[in-house]
Amino acid sequence: MKKFLVLVLALAMVLSLAACGAKPPAEPAAPAEEPAAETPKIGVTIYKFDDNFMSFVRRAIETGAKDKAELVLNDSQNNQATQNEQVDMMISKGVKSLAINLVDPQAAPTIIEKAKAAGLPVIFFNKEPDAAALASYDKAWYVGTTSSESGVMQGKIVADSWKANANWDKNGDGKIQYVLLKGEPGHPDAEARTKFVIDEVKAAGIEVEELELQTGMWDSVKGKELVDAWLAKHGDKIEYVIANNDAMALGAVSSLQANGYFAGDKFMPVVGVDAIPDALEQVKAGTMVGTVLNDAKNQGGATLELALNAANGKDPLEGTQWKLDDKKAVRVPYVGITKDNLAIAEEAYK
Amino acid sequence: MSSVTEKLRNMTKKDVAAWMMNNAIFIVLVVLLLVIISISPDFVSINNFRNILSQASTRIIIALGVGGLIITQGTDLSAGRMVGLSAVISASLLQAPGYAYRMYPNLNLLPINPDEPAFQILLPILLAASITAIFGLINGFIIAKLNVTPFITTLGTMIIIYGVNSIYFDRPPYGAQPIGGLDPRYMKFAQGSIYIGDFAVPYLVIYAAIVTVLIWVLWNKTRFGKNIYAVGGNPEAAVVSGVSLVKTLLIVYTLAGFLYGFAGSLEAARVGSATNNTGNMYELDAIAACVVGGVSFSGGIGTVAGVVTGVLIFQVINYGLAFIGVNPYLQYIIKGLIIITAVAIDTRKYLKKK
Repeated sequence: MKKFLVLVLALAMVLSLAACGAKPPAEPAAPAEEPAAETPKIGVTIYKFDDNFMSFVRRAIETGAKDKAELVLNDSQNNQATQNEQVDMMISKGVKSLAINLVDPQAAPTIIEKAKAAGLPVIFFNKEPDAAALASYDKAWYVGTTSSESGVMQGKIVADSWKANANWDKNGDGKIQYVLLKGEPGHPDAEARTKFVIDEVKAAGIEVEELELQTGMWDSVKGKELVDAWLAKHGDKIEYVIANNDAMALGAVSSLQANGYFAGDKFMPVVGVDAIPDALEQVKAGTMVGTVLNDAKNQGGATLELALNAANGKDPLEGTQWKLDDKKAVRVPYVGITKDNLAIAEEAYK
Repeated sequence: MSSVTEKLRNMTKKDVAAWMMNNAIFIVLVVLLLVIISISPDFVSINNFRNILSQASTRIIIALGVGGLIITQGTDLSAGRMVGLSAVISASLLQAPGYAYRMYPNLNLLPINPDEPAFQILLPILLAASITAIFGLINGFIIAKLNVTPFITTLGTMIIIYGVNSIYFDRPPYGAQPIGGLDPRYMKFAQGSIYIGDFAVPYLVIYAAIVTVLIWVLWNKTRFGKNIYAVGGNPEAAVVSGVSLVKTLLIVYTLAGFLYGFAGSLEAARVGSATNNTGNMYELDAIAACVVGGVSFSGGIGTVAGVVTGVLIFQVINYGLAFIGVNPYLQYIIKGLIIITAVAIDTRKYLKKK
């Protein structure tokens, strides 16, 4: 109990000290009196700071905010509870709009409640909330992609490259005998990419035959091990290696290299998704046919543009190149990357 | 008040040094606040302090569970996973009737009429807390009866509970997807506030205050409380003087399990959804808060006030550093340094006594 007394006394001291230096706690009406803030504060949370892709989105947001907004950046540490707390903190700090990269898409209603109570506009990005949640608040929008599109883009690369290289049809039956490295089962991107890549190839009028389809859990090492096994089993019967992401595609490439491919005339086409820098190197070297760029630069840029407009009380799309779809979402397009347009992808990482 | 100032005036240098040593933890907290406020004076607001308190609430409940068993020379790595298990169980039983992806499409525990009082809300919460209490009991049994060290025991149960939770969580019809769409009344149970005039007191703070008072009474005013300290301070002596080691440990771990379960139910409602990863690593936060708050890992020492202060210190750091915009990676470094510094200072006072 004595310690409690000490604590209370100490806190009282601190508060009275601080009160001398600080303005009285601003009530909601006060902000108008503040020395007309040149740039609005925008509160941003990233679901996990050290996520590779999100670090590029974050960089694009920071670049876009230069001289236009003061960012309050938060690392939600892959924990929705942490993120909720950060939102409370940012509201208390007086941000003018929120840009939220959800940890758990199901938690959107809670964030929307908080924003609504504070009358703040909120832009979700990269992880899509439920359409119903987004519809429940007129000042909530989403910036992201259409996840099926990455599969479609990958399918286009497969179809185009197949048509351009008749000698890839090793057994001459006109069909693509492919193996597919799938991401985490149940993950919406993995399911969509797996389905749409093949649909797109078929839509281009090419017959396909699936030799193997296994999950590599987005992981390079697992991808390599699977391809090791498949090469041992099928050898040159495999005509195309399709991977749901670049990490697994890179694993496939290293397995193929260990099995003597990409030297002399031994070749195997490999495609991935994500356009990570490593994969771009492989595309440049010719060991990967192509990959699909999830455009971090434009995702971050669009997020900031919308958040900035909303913070300034304007229409979120004002002066931007973006359009909303029927779900109040801006869809940043994926870009198929091959040797011919590598520069676009390299630009995205600058 | 006047007697306190009187005492302050009569202090000698040595007394001041001793006083500072004895209250090192509180001084750390005050210094932290001063630094944060000097950088960002608008940190001083009712709203910020309300946020910090309500964010600390579930953590206080968890830390009081862990604190009790650290006093008995124990530790609990399974706390976070129990929080997760309870969060998933309560959330799955309390999804809103109109929500499309319900784990139990036909289950309606709460009255359909939203204006009717919904005391049934307590049923799933008690059920979840009882299940984690049973896991706590199992921890206690393995430690007390099979003589496996607490670290290893709870390392094992931590993994087991995660497995159990994942099996429950990842089931048809909808598989491994976050359990959302919680009943608004359940969310309000954690997110709501009582208004005293215009002043809002979050329910969470009230729950934490009640638990704190109950645990304070338990540790300080009951025979069982004395047994905890006796077992932790010197197990052999405690046994000789007639304290049942087994019984004390069983109760301490069961109670801790119950508290984690209660905190987990609150956590799901506070966040608005739950997954099998809810609560991951919360045990480390709780253990860190306890040791920073002066609970000794060698047992027998620790107070409720210390545990609560420990949690508050961490919450002030979390909230305050983010508020003044410290680089997130730098925040980790500062937190680590504070744990070590606080405990290093705190240990010195016990070293002197020995």
